Amino acid sequence: MMRQLATLLVIAVLAVAPMLIGDRYFSHIAVMVCLMGIMAFSMNLMLKVGQLSLAQVVFMSTGAYGSALMAMAWGLPPVLAIVLAGIASGILALVLGPLLLHIRGVYFVLLTFALAQVVNLILQDWVGVTGGNSGLFNIPRLELFGIRLARPEALYPFALFLFALAFLATYLLDRSRAGWVMHSIEENEDLSRALGVDVMRWRVWTFGLSGLMAGIAGGVYAHFIGFLSPAAFTFAISVNILVINVIGGIRSPFGPVVGAILLVPLPELLRDAQQYQLLAYGVLLIVFMAFFRTGITGFLFGTGPGQVAGLRKLARAK
Amino acid sequence: MTQFILQIIANGLLSGMVYILMALGFTLIFGIMRIVNFAHGELYMVGASLVLVLYAHNGMNYFVAVLLAALITAGLGALIERFLFRPFVNTELNGMIMSLGIAISLQAAALIVMGPQWQAMERPVSGALDFGGLVVPYDRLFVGGVALAIIALFYLFLTRSRTGLAMQAVAQDAETASLMGVRIGSVSALAFAIAAGLAAAAGGLMAPIYSVAPYMGEMPMLKAFVVVVLGGLGSIPGAVVGGLVIGLVESAFASAMHSTAALIASFALVVLVVLVRPRGLFGKAV
Repeated sequence: MMRQLATLLVIAVLAVAPMLIGDRYFSHIAVMVCLMGIMAFSMNLMLKVGQLSLAQVVFMSTGAYGSALMAMAWGLPPVLAIVLAGIASGILALVLGPLLLHIRGVYFVLLTFALAQVVNLILQDWVGVTGGNSGLFNIPRLELFGIRLARPEALYPFALFLFALAFLATYLLDRSRAGWVMHSIEENEDLSRALGVDVMRWRVWTFGLSGLMAGIAGGVYAHFIGFLSPAAFTFAISVNILVINVIGGIRSPFGPVVGAILLVPLPELLRDAQQYQLLAYGVLLIVFMAFFRTGITGFLFGTGPGQVAGLRKLARAK
Repeated sequence: MTQFILQIIANGLLSGMVYILMALGFTLIFGIMRIVNFAHGELYMVGASLVLVLYAHNGMNYFVAVLLAALITAGLGALIERFLFRPFVNTELNGMIMSLGIAISLQAAALIVMGPQWQAMERPVSGALDFGGLVVPYDRLFVGGVALAIIALFYLFLTRSRTGLAMQAVAQDAETASLMGVRIGSVSALAFAIAAGLAAAAGGLMAPIYSVAPYMGEMPMLKAFVVVVLGGLGSIPGAVVGGLVIGLVESAFASAMHSTAALIASFALVVLVVLVRPRGLFGKAV
């Protein structure tokens, strides 16, 4: 508990720092930490029900393109466009869920991988709507209560708020009855089913929530950068958010936060030497998979509730 | 019209041979270790890069260079299996994440050593066969022929030799195989070495045709992936049939439409196959 409080304190200090420093470049990195952090939570939710989804980037791109197009074609205020596109991405996940989620394990990973490839190729090929590889330009900037959030310094508190919301949602879900159910599904699906859990329904709703999160992150990204192209929504995003989860740790809600804070600034620090950033990602993945499979938070806090904790709680509650 | 179709078939079969070479190793590793090896494309890249260094930079005979590149990469594969993959046998998701780490590291290492640019080399075979209007470049024909020979050798090894049979036994049922005295560890290491060698041979054969760069492994990896999912993960006949089918379909699409359409079609096919028949056309029931 002490360690968790200490971690929270360090994160809070780091979260406030960009606002005090107020530097443009620093704030830009901080916004990206928040957005990739939300994406990492979106994948984390799926990992919590035992499925590694490489399709979260699909919902990020539907959120981004949906929001940008609504703001550009219909003149909707960006905030409204982001919310609508986020909800649409969540609904898309709910619709696809029953179809995709009965595929398990390695086949689910391959399925979501191929799906993400198809969607990215469509973004490249559907020039009339998405602008193809040259992309969408001049996407309207965010505005909130009449204040323009064009500059990263101004946008950062908004992005931080959304990141905190994603953390809180995951944290509360983890603590609630829903969390026990999710843990029990990951621990032993058959046993959970025997205890009366409608495993499929839980998984579909989790997928929907993860789609909503990714859609919102994508929408904010679109209006933050002001430019969209298919190159921003490739397999590389899936790899990044997977690395964030593995290194931060999957069990604790702090995992994606710690991972995002450590990893997202890396490309900026190694800006002139992209190959070293790539090498750092690869070597970190290998080292953590070989020696610290529970990630940094697993190392700090222990492996948490331990095996079959979810099942035990669920059985007791019955 | 017949000539157009014959040309499509010739092109499709020749690229199909290379896809099979890639897909065989990919499916072999999955069959034996239940690991989806995302680093398979990087082994192709390592093979091509070694050929670049040995043949183009140091003037070694091309054929010796390809053979040596395949052997060195096979050794690398055995080391990777022993030290990085062994702890993940039968834990599919973690093994897959480990393979991603290896893929990224190999690609970054190549970027640091070679730089990002494409490097061409002199073609060891040139000219084209003109068979009554059906044009086939000699180098493609050569690659197709060598690939076919390697595939035949691999098939003989797998069905005739004791080691090959042991390999099949492990893929069918590892526990029973180990009770029969098969050493799972050495079989896995050998399978990984063979898979790496096949991928490196494919890379070395294609290097003079497509040039060499750190990112060159991505496309063949995606192709092997499509072929293997279509044929069934872990199935050897599936990889052969899948490779030919994908080669032909792609050749037809690329001639009739553009190559992005061919890619969309092949990935959409993967999505469909996994949804309807996850074990692929030839996969065994799990």
